[in-house]
Amino acid sequence: MCSNHLSGILSKIVLLVLATAMIPFGALVFAIPASAQSLLKIDLPKDTPVTFLSSDLGESRATPIGKDYRVDLHASLTLRNSSAKRIRGLTLAVRAHEVTPGGTGVVWKPSLDIAPGDSFPVQLNLSLLRPGVPGESTPSVEVQLDGVLFEDLSFYGPDKLQSKRSLTVWELEAQRDRKYFKAMLDSGGREGLQKAMLTSLSTQADRSQPGVQMQRGPATNADPSNEVQFAFLHVPDAPVEAAGGSARVGANEAHAPRFNVSNLSKRPVQHLEIGWIVKDQSGREFLAASLPADLPLAAGQSGKVALDTSLRFTDQRTTIQTLTGFVSTVEFADGTYWIPSRAALDNPDLRRVVAPSPEEQRLSQIYNKRGLVALIDELKKF
Amino acid sequence: MSRHVKETNLALFVSGDLSLFERAAVRFHLSGCENCRARLEAFRFDRQRLKEDAGQLPTGLDWDRLAQEMTANIRVGLAAGECVAPRARKQASWNWGISGRNWNQGRSWNQGWAPGRAWMPAAVMAAVAMILSAAWWLNLPSSDTASLGRALNKLVHGREPVVREDAPAEESGPVVHATANSIELRENGNSLVMSQGSTMPVSVNVGAHGSSASYVNDAGEITLTGVYVQ
Repeated sequence: MCSNHLSGILSKIVLLVLATAMIPFGALVFAIPASAQSLLKIDLPKDTPVTFLSSDLGESRATPIGKDYRVDLHASLTLRNSSAKRIRGLTLAVRAHEVTPGGTGVVWKPSLDIAPGDSFPVQLNLSLLRPGVPGESTPSVEVQLDGVLFEDLSFYGPDKLQSKRSLTVWELEAQRDRKYFKAMLDSGGREGLQKAMLTSLSTQADRSQPGVQMQRGPATNADPSNEVQFAFLHVPDAPVEAAGGSARVGANEAHAPRFNVSNLSKRPVQHLEIGWIVKDQSGREFLAASLPADLPLAAGQSGKVALDTSLRFTDQRTTIQTLTGFVSTVEFADGTYWIPSRAALDNPDLRRVVAPSPEEQRLSQIYNKRGLVALIDELKKF
Repeated sequence: MSRHVKETNLALFVSGDLSLFERAAVRFHLSGCENCRARLEAFRFDRQRLKEDAGQLPTGLDWDRLAQEMTANIRVGLAAGECVAPRARKQASWNWGISGRNWNQGRSWNQGWAPGRAWMPAAVMAAVAMILSAAWWLNLPSSDTASLGRALNKLVHGREPVVREDAPAEESGPVVHATANSIELRENGNSLVMSQGSTMPVSVNVGAHGSSASYVNDAGEITLTGVYVQ
């Protein structure tokens, strides 16, 4: 009698455990794909100079893949310039709080020329991947306006992503590069502009971009005990000079870069960015990363920049040999900026590794895809 | 019609001692077998008779004497059992097929070894372990599993586990991965990939706070997509 009772109890226990274990399977198998509209929420402030007109979510979908949940968002937003000034740049923050609380997706639109009342599209393509967690809802994204830059370099927006600085620097670079290419057209004619474009495209093609990983703290368990000194490129007219610095280097990882900087100008500085060039074992050089630092420096004052950041090449065969730095951007306390001139960028050491500005990339692609006439027409718009 | 139900199973069915599955099988057979139903009714009748007889106690019974005799019989039986064979504790502990029919041999419940059913507990335990492992694998984020593994390793060996130097450090915050195709933000096993679909970027720029990839469309508009780490 006891044997039969025990068998019965065991059978019930096994059934109960099986049913419990199948709950996550059931959650995934019977998950109803969320409607595309529920995947995206657009949140623009009431007094925004950019109004939302429509969105097309196309093939956007949420899909359970095994135990994970994947959201593919392919949206085309149509916005309108509802201000009285021409828009030169715009930043949208793409937040997925439940997926990546420590970071934000960003869409930057520099080199715009949107007249008041005109509408313009913004493409939004992203993928979210979250391990399946029973009971949690489908991850969704929220699009917020972080900033708008106008033609007079005035700015609107919460600026939580440092959009004002990024958009302003890109606009200054755009003005510099358009001026340069117009000068090429004026001095050398169509051939002169064509030659400049071919040089730009050739440089861009030669510039390689290895896969890198950037994070706070060390990237691996290795203790990169080699202290490697930075060499610094002299950038003519730079108001800040970087001299002396090092980073801890181990194989394909560099960690905790430190620099000594001096304000050579007569104006106080509040922010600067240093370009970080790495040479690998085969002699190839990359602009590995840019290192921003909020560092108030009075005129003539010196200071130190220290970052708890690590840079790691994802190709483990890459071995870091040398480190080089250069001052790439300076923001003064009065809100004005210094960027390298075209003449300074003609330094072969810089030209080889520094990416062209977004505007130069745009202009060179117009030339590449639509030809010289289209490029000249584009330059005449500004 | 299939084979008839065994008498033992019919008896156990009447007493309600069959397992869930066997009971269902017997009931199914009875629904289509007149012969077995008749045998079942006979068992029920006998059971009812036994109950009635048990309720009628014999007259002039000396309960004290009877109790003493029973106690003495039990003691004699136990002593005889000890003389014949040593006690098989291990067998008894694993015996799930208890017969309960050897009262008169001196042991209240004969816990003889039943090799035919010995695999059952092991099989059930293995199945439960497999199911629980699968449920765990489905529910626990991989980073948590790795952390738990390290903790168990430390517990077992009493020291920090030896790890490869080039193994990625435990992620303590968001990590930005920049490739020639896209920018990806990884955090706690989740990921956010910013791209422009199948379009290849013109360039990729990496920064300590923000990393971006540039895309130029046919209309000559440039879009930078990327991530910003607070």
